[in-house]
Amino acid sequence: MQRYIIKRFFQSLIVILGISVIVFIITHLTGDPTDLLLPPEAGPEEKELLRNQLGLDRPIYVQYLGFLKNIAHGDFGQSFRHQTSAFSLIIGALPATIELTIAAMILSIVIALPVGIISAIRPRSNYDRLGMTFALLGQSIPVYWAGLMLILLFAVTLGWLPSTGRGGIKHLILPAITLGLFSTAAIARFTRSSMLDVLDTDYVRTARIKGLTEYIVVLKHAFKNASIPVLTMTSLQFGRMLSGAVITETIFSWPGVGRMAVQAIYNRDFPVVQTAVFVTSVIFVGINFLVDIIYTYLDPRIKYK
Amino acid sequence: MKKTIILTFLVSLMVFSFISAAMASAAAKGKIVIAQGAETTTLDPHKGGSAIFINACLTMYDLLIRRTWEGKQKLALATSYKSIDPVTWEFKLRKGVKFHNGDPLTARDVKFSYDRMRDPKTRNPFRVFFRGIKEVQVIDDYTVRVITKKPDPVLPSRASFAAFIVPERYIREHGDEYFAKHPVGSGRYRFVKWVKNDYVELEANDNYWGDRPAAIKTLIFKVIPETGSRMAALQTGEVDIATNVPPFMIPKLKKDPKIDVISGPSGRVIFIGFNLLDSEKAGPLMKKKVRQALNYAVDKQSLIKHVLMGSGEQLATPLIPVAFGYDPSIEPYPYDPDKAKSLLAEAGYPNGFETEFATGSGRYLMDKQIAEAISGMLAKVGIKAKLKVYEWGQYEKVRKAHEVEPLYLLGWGNTMYDADGTLVPLFISKSTYSNYSNPDLDKMLMEARYQMDPEKRKKQYEEILELIKDEAPWIFLYQQVDNYGVRDTVANFRQSAGSERMDCDNLILTK
Repeated sequence: MQRYIIKRFFQSLIVILGISVIVFIITHLTGDPTDLLLPPEAGPEEKELLRNQLGLDRPIYVQYLGFLKNIAHGDFGQSFRHQTSAFSLIIGALPATIELTIAAMILSIVIALPVGIISAIRPRSNYDRLGMTFALLGQSIPVYWAGLMLILLFAVTLGWLPSTGRGGIKHLILPAITLGLFSTAAIARFTRSSMLDVLDTDYVRTARIKGLTEYIVVLKHAFKNASIPVLTMTSLQFGRMLSGAVITETIFSWPGVGRMAVQAIYNRDFPVVQTAVFVTSVIFVGINFLVDIIYTYLDPRIKYK
Repeated sequence: MKKTIILTFLVSLMVFSFISAAMASAAAKGKIVIAQGAETTTLDPHKGGSAIFINACLTMYDLLIRRTWEGKQKLALATSYKSIDPVTWEFKLRKGVKFHNGDPLTARDVKFSYDRMRDPKTRNPFRVFFRGIKEVQVIDDYTVRVITKKPDPVLPSRASFAAFIVPERYIREHGDEYFAKHPVGSGRYRFVKWVKNDYVELEANDNYWGDRPAAIKTLIFKVIPETGSRMAALQTGEVDIATNVPPFMIPKLKKDPKIDVISGPSGRVIFIGFNLLDSEKAGPLMKKKVRQALNYAVDKQSLIKHVLMGSGEQLATPLIPVAFGYDPSIEPYPYDPDKAKSLLAEAGYPNGFETEFATGSGRYLMDKQIAEAISGMLAKVGIKAKLKVYEWGQYEKVRKAHEVEPLYLLGWGNTMYDADGTLVPLFISKSTYSNYSNPDLDKMLMEARYQMDPEKRKKQYEEILELIKDEAPWIFLYQQVDNYGVRDTVANFRQSAGSERMDCDNLILTK
């Protein structure tokens, strides 16, 4: 077990290193940041000076090695635009993203699990059809459209909730629904199919024959075993939300990492883009790593060598 | 006895705080929230480079000279200024002005600010506008002289652009980084806090030197990047002012009795340039008559009415009306396809010709759609212009390498309200942004650049504009119109002529 964890840890490091190379190359392919940092009136003299100050005049591999070396020292560089530490910008935006993600995740689980389980117990019933239609819609409606429609209905027309910004619980509701919509649908469908598989097994039948109540059979015997694939799915969704809240954050003007990263991409603010990708990929890889370990506790039959 | 002293102290403290609270509320009250599409990147006034950054700085910092919303210069920290010889401008400063931290503002702060924004180490994106300054001299506490390398008639405009005055002692004591986080200016509003990625909060500076203090206690610049959400926040009343209302939303917003849309021409000029540096590729466009024909072939009014839904104003030349050197007597090329055809025939192309036409997409208001419409108009006089839509970064690259297609759509802002800032970069030979070369024009432009007599200079630009219109190195189109959504909670909001700057000085709360 211990060896497995160490091995997975080093695998994760390699993944993160790989991501850093890709991000570094892609950001540098988008063009010269000094084009955007300086007004069009600036001449070659100003451009050269700035390229030198930002270290962009060095060969790309030298820049990359410098970048790695600095990261090892915990220095993610200075934002080209903000002229402050890129790391502090991203870390400053992280609480907002985590808050939104957790809210969306709770919402997803609270809705998706009952919908999935009940649909599985009564397959092809009206309830099942309703639940799965909802799931189909949730997965196919573009987040962008859903967000704007929610704003139009609940903020502009009804005036119940604020349209944008971060604040109290009220501010959290619409963005959490928007962000959680896709995951709710995905987890509900997954729970349903996973439960259907399990409900059809011998041990569930045995449990029923033993005369246990349906409640115990479903939740204790069936769901516990069906929950492993659901957990995988849910953790992936959690990672996706943390790194993929870009659109939701933009629509609701939510001051999180996703929005900061998008703005940095527009501005070709390389250090901020790199830091954002680095931090989110570390979180994503970290969640996967944790889930792998949690499996062994959930299902003792899973043994890693 | 002790008790009495404490009691007296407490009571007087209470009375004092009541009085000061009452005084403050008499001066300024309420809150205004302004929503913009992006956030300022810094509040250090010498380190930013966007219009949104300038909007925030204009409220917190002062300049020697300001611009009114009509685009006119107005004395601010300077009480007078004059040119004492061709390379020297002298400014007399207002006495008794204090920074928000209580430090007096003197000539030393002005010199410090002007030196700081020109210092390469500051990394000021706007440094290019001040690189003609040789040195700044402190004559006495309230007199400074700015010495330029060459005669610079535009210097007062530079002073009113982004030459914000910062406190020398405070910055020297605390350093740049601290200053950026705890900015101190002398403006009508003082800094309260900045929640990154979300909003900047300012409050009225009750000790402002101006004729009247700010009328609004709290001013908030909020960022809402998504246009639809920004409009929704305006409709719900979460924000009082929203920038960049898309033209199609205007009729809908105006239906709401609580919302008004205030519009006016921005500084951004949209045009079709001709790449005349590669005569082989340009082909027929090398002939003046052909270029004029293209100007007659495009129906500018129709573009403005149907594609921009009114958010544009036609221009006869590259200059906007608020720029120095603008000549209102020059008439634009009218829409006349018959005249276009006859000019083409005279030039030897009675059946038109084929060419290529480049544009970006989404950079300017309806840019791609404008290019498509123009392509259709040109087809009507026999010119088949094949449209190529570029990704912006790539478009920049090919344009700067002068390898862009013979026709290309582009926009240009006029930061200095002066002919020089538009005409030199866009028309002078060998400039990055010019794809035209005319030694006569080069000479005229350089003479006007260093002419210190405003009347003579104005005359020179009249001649230059006549020449440019006749030579037609562009299809002259229009200037974009900026639209602001404003709720009835706010009065006195004005769109700044020829600029994206927001004038928050006169804002009043009505409710």
